[in-house]
Amino acid sequence: MAELSKNDEQGDTTPNVSEVEVVEARTEAEEVAALEAPVERGEPILQVRNLVKHFPLTQGILFKKSVGAVKAVDGISFDLYQGETLGIVGESGCGKSTVAKLLMNLERATAGEIFYKGQDITKLSGRALKAVRRNIQMVFQDPYTSLNPRMTVGDIIGEPFEIHPEVAPKGDRRKKVQDLLDVVGLNPEYINRYPHQFSGGQRQRIGIARGLALNPEIIICDEPVSALDVSVQAQVINLMEGLQDEFNLSYLFIAHDLSIVRHISDRVGVMYLGKMAEIGTDTQIYDHPTHPYTQALLSAVPVPDPAAREHRERIILTGDVPSPANPPSGCRFRTRCWKAQDKCAEEVPLLAVPERFKNSDTPAAHESACHFAEEKDVVHAA
Amino acid sequence: MLLDVHDLHVEFHTRDGVAQAVNGVSYGVDEGETLAVLGESGSGKSVTAQAIMGILDVPPGRITGGEVIFRGRDLLTLKEEQRRKVRGAEMAMIFQDALSSLNPVISVGDQLGEMFTVHRGMSKKDARAEAVELMDRVRIPAARERVRQYPHQFSGGMRQRIMIAMALALEPALIIADEPTTALDVTVQAQVMELLAELQREYRMGLILITHDLGVVADVADRIAVMYAGRIVESAPVHDIYKAPAHPYTRGLLDSIPRLDQKGRELYAIRGLPPNLMDIPPGCAFHPRCPMARDVCRTDEPPLYEVTESEAGRGSACHFWRECLHG
Repeated sequence: MAELSKNDEQGDTTPNVSEVEVVEARTEAEEVAALEAPVERGEPILQVRNLVKHFPLTQGILFKKSVGAVKAVDGISFDLYQGETLGIVGESGCGKSTVAKLLMNLERATAGEIFYKGQDITKLSGRALKAVRRNIQMVFQDPYTSLNPRMTVGDIIGEPFEIHPEVAPKGDRRKKVQDLLDVVGLNPEYINRYPHQFSGGQRQRIGIARGLALNPEIIICDEPVSALDVSVQAQVINLMEGLQDEFNLSYLFIAHDLSIVRHISDRVGVMYLGKMAEIGTDTQIYDHPTHPYTQALLSAVPVPDPAAREHRERIILTGDVPSPANPPSGCRFRTRCWKAQDKCAEEVPLLAVPERFKNSDTPAAHESACHFAEEKDVVHAA
Repeated sequence: MLLDVHDLHVEFHTRDGVAQAVNGVSYGVDEGETLAVLGESGSGKSVTAQAIMGILDVPPGRITGGEVIFRGRDLLTLKEEQRRKVRGAEMAMIFQDALSSLNPVISVGDQLGEMFTVHRGMSKKDARAEAVELMDRVRIPAARERVRQYPHQFSGGMRQRIMIAMALALEPALIIADEPTTALDVTVQAQVMELLAELQREYRMGLILITHDLGVVADVADRIAVMYAGRIVESAPVHDIYKAPAHPYTRGLLDSIPRLDQKGRELYAIRGLPPNLMDIPPGCAFHPRCPMARDVCRTDEPPLYEVTESEAGRGSACHFWRECLHG
């Protein structure tokens, strides 16, 4: 996917807001038409700018007063290109699932913009929003709770057609659902079965079929394989990769398993406490990380090679992730960082290509939000 | 040998039939040794551990055969009264989910202290002092203040440390850890595993680590037992198994995980699903999913063959282990 990294070579992966083509007032019909237009492979399909989500903390029962906010997502920006997989990694509480909900418009953003084909979807409503939702679908983590136990598989996969009847006229639906079952590797004759008659891996295939039903362009996958056994995980990952090629999908792949994210992603973003710490191609992030948090995270992953255990450097972080209701000043990682200095408490580091790598073409020249960014390979045994 | 499990059989009687959860498992652990028991859900790895600990739900569970020799006596022949004295004092268990394993309405200090009041007959005050010391030992900061707090006031990693402290309280000879870090974030997982390994070295305990994570196993284990459908399909020193697996199931597992250190090719996927324990395939239970299966695999159950090319005791329950080892 070489064409995707053309921005990286120029050392600038975040186009400024001004570069995003903002479309001036249009009629609703025009808006919907614009959303249906195809996007070229390698062009950004989704552009997230300074996205913020704060959940207010309230006190009192009758007279609620606000006593602060959980800063779940606190100003993040990234692009998703057509046809690529962007992996988002981070530990629990870093805000990665909130990002998914914001992109799905299941939560309203506190501030910031999400441009889908040039239109800010955080401001849309009515028909235009419905059209966007058709094109951005989601696959959930837990295949046991994300399927209604009282509905047949046919009804579950066909339900999106109730809301978007233009995709499949009533008479065609059964056939369409059977095709979808076939596409995800399930027997089309299972259409009248219930979720409990399937194994975890098969249920996740049903969830994927439902996500595909409306021919979306983007699929947001929130931990899609973490509930599955190792041998079944590989089946589902391979299926998702095949579907991406077949239907020309763009994936936002959210997971905590760093090995799986490397396997499936073209680019990877690392989140910490509501901020993006580092973002780049999979090689840039895994083989040439420059942010201390990424380095600690990668070094903590056990690799399936007993010979490596004596030779790999381990960075064991102390303490826990601070509360997002009361994040540290300056750099959010400084309380656990071994490199932290006074500057880190005073100044928030911006996500940008570090000054020292700016004019070089090393893989270390990618965006990293650290005042003291330096390259360190922690994955490969010394 | 500290613990020697021999030909253990466990079944569960349910409304739909009898599930054969454990079908002749044998393994052993020495002092100071770490045995990793690897397997997917339903492989019988946790049920075996519950049988060893004596915490199996009976009914529906039932131990139908085998021995659990611990420090020279067969635990399965002991009365519940005697069993209880062994549990906690001589062998202890760490569970996956610390939040549901701890009592939410009793302070952690009292829960830790209970080990000493019940087993050692200590006064409440002395038990409290021991609890503080234990919390110090598992590196919970400000132990003296936090001893009064309740489980919900601790983070996931800290709660798992409390579970470890509780297991260590009476300095048992054997610890069984059932997926101790599965619920934790990777940086916290590293902290907890390091702590566990360090304490094990210090006390020279035997450790049975039950997990599905091939990475964690490679990091800490001395020996591995791979389970499938209630049987051990391969048992070997950790270095041997990663270098050259002698069972097609082990090989499939190793090939199906993506690598952190390189961009991989397409993942190998073991076809099909793990078997239904009420209807385990005849012959080798893995044969319907095995790329090497032949007629004999469908009829004859393979014993745990000794892998003679290895120096240290190594076994594989595959008729064609030689082929697998070299292929």
